[in-house]
Amino acid sequence: MKAIIIGAGLGGLLSAAKLSQVGYQVEIFERLPITGGRFTNLNYRGFQLSSGALHTLPHGPTGPLTQLLKEVNADVQIIRSDQPTIRMPLEKSNPNYRKGFKDIFFNKFFTPLSNKDRLKIALLIVSTRKNRPSGSNLKAWIINQFKDEWLLKLADSFCGWSLSLKSDNVPLEEFFEMIENMYRFGGPGVPIGGCKGVIDALEAVIIANGGRIYNKTEVSKIIVENGRAAGIFAGDRVYEANLIISNLGHAATALLCSEALLDKTYASYFKMLELLKPSAGIKICLAADEPLVGHSGILLTPYAKRINGINEVTHVDPNLAPPGKHLTMSHQHIAPENLKNLRVEIELGLEDLKEIFPGKKYKVLLIQSYHDGWPVNRAASGLDPGNETPILELYVVGDGAKGKGGIEIEGVALGVAATMTKILG
Amino acid sequence: MKINDNCVGCGQCVSFCNQGAIEVKGKATATAACIGCDICFLYCPVKAIEVSV
Ligand SMILES: Cc1cc2nc3c(=O)[nH]c(=O)nc-3n(C[C@H](O)[C@H](O)[C@H](O)COP(=O)(O)OP(=O)(O)OC[C@H]3O[C@@H](n4cnc5c(N)ncnc54)[C@H](O)[C@@H]3O)c2cc1C
Ligand code: SF4
Ligand code: SF4
Repeated sequence: MKAIIIGAGLGGLLSAAKLSQVGYQVEIFERLPITGGRFTNLNYRGFQLSSGALHTLPHGPTGPLTQLLKEVNADVQIIRSDQPTIRMPLEKSNPNYRKGFKDIFFNKFFTPLSNKDRLKIALLIVSTRKNRPSGSNLKAWIINQFKDEWLLKLADSFCGWSLSLKSDNVPLEEFFEMIENMYRFGGPGVPIGGCKGVIDALEAVIIANGGRIYNKTEVSKIIVENGRAAGIFAGDRVYEANLIISNLGHAATALLCSEALLDKTYASYFKMLELLKPSAGIKICLAADEPLVGHSGILLTPYAKRINGINEVTHVDPNLAPPGKHLTMSHQHIAPENLKNLRVEIELGLEDLKEIFPGKKYKVLLIQSYHDGWPVNRAASGLDPGNETPILELYVVGDGAKGKGGIEIEGVALGVAATMTKILG
Repeated sequence: MKINDNCVGCGQCVSFCNQGAIEVKGKATATAACIGCDICFLYCPVKAIEVSV
């Protein structure tokens, strides 16, 4: 059996590793000279920056991605990060960090609340696991339950960091599935070697299993015969296959076989594609001589104007920066209406950093923005349309087809695992 | 080379330019240091870099 994978991002490589392990002959086609898509390292001035992700696995060494990596025998070490912290103003009523701040542990997030609200939280933590709330979005639900601004700020900071969305764009079902996954799989971790540590390990598995990766080779068309994917066009050549997995998201995949999809029976699929909205974000990479965050966990910053959170991965792997230096990266969500003012959004992020790290010495290495065709997530979490397409033997994996409640690459891994179950039984 | 409106500002090209000739802030721009080697062209994920042939 022959499988063709379009795109060598994380979803494509995971699928290739699994299929080659069970005996498929696998060929991967990647447009870029580099492998890994938005999940690999960019070497810049001796720092291992990244093509997307902040070198973080949302559920670390016990999450769905690590499980899948183990299953395919990919050799990469994932280290659990320290506990996340939240930066609070000294007085909860202060609107920002200018008059000073203190950090609290994430699992003590309720301490700034009144006794009554703390009791309510304690009850909700138990009751929502039994009876999952549903129907609205996270923000509306919080407003309905609490009068306190603090929880809304925290929700926006948490959703901005982990999904690059605001809390009013996160469906309640998705949020509570994410929380359940946190109980199930545990907190974040960092791979040794950063994102590229994962990608190199997968490449080694694929090559050892006899698979091939063609870089600098763009797929221009998916060939469909009798409603079934039969092969691809790449660089003027036809490559035939029994199975095609696309790592490009549903919309870009549909464009590659648009002729076949013109048929009226596929109209509802096209309608669904129009609903898909990618999430946008800005990452600011800092070089520091001294630790800025001070631990390997995430620092959430709910009182910043734009920045949702920051990490400092060099506490886990010092080799991600030159000797003695730290690599600190912030992430901020971009609201759709602010996309046209990207520079303003960036300036607000830079101002935030000055307030979050007053008196600290750091250099801005690179400011990276992601939206539209190269976004943070191809499908905003909770709106992923699954891995199947109307064409038989054509599947979509990656962050345009994540599994339920799966944050970022954990969602990519859950989606790949579900796809493999469908294909392999 | 020319950078078109497809550019999202991801900075990938910056890390592959050996001349340090690209600046990015929301969008990429080439500086006077650009020698026209066209290496960056290959690495743009959204085909925002155009080269003259
Ligand atoms: C700023 C930012 C921060 C993030 N932080 C995190 C984080 O800390 N933790 C986390 O878990 N996730 C994070 N993410 C999300 C994560 O990076 C992505 O969800 C993940 O990398 C997407 O993988 P994918 O499988 O969808 O493939 P992609 O990375 O999208 O790869 C698709 C590949 O297909 C190739 N391709 C496209 N068209 C063609 C074609 N026609 N022919 C051949 N090849 C083609 C592309 O070049 C690309 O290499 C972040 C993302 C961003 C942008
Ligand atoms: S790689 Fe392409 S999209 Fe990214 S900054 Fe450079 S020109 Fe823009
Ligand atoms: S053409 Fe060459 S020198 Fe000019 S920006 Fe691109 S990589 Fe740098």
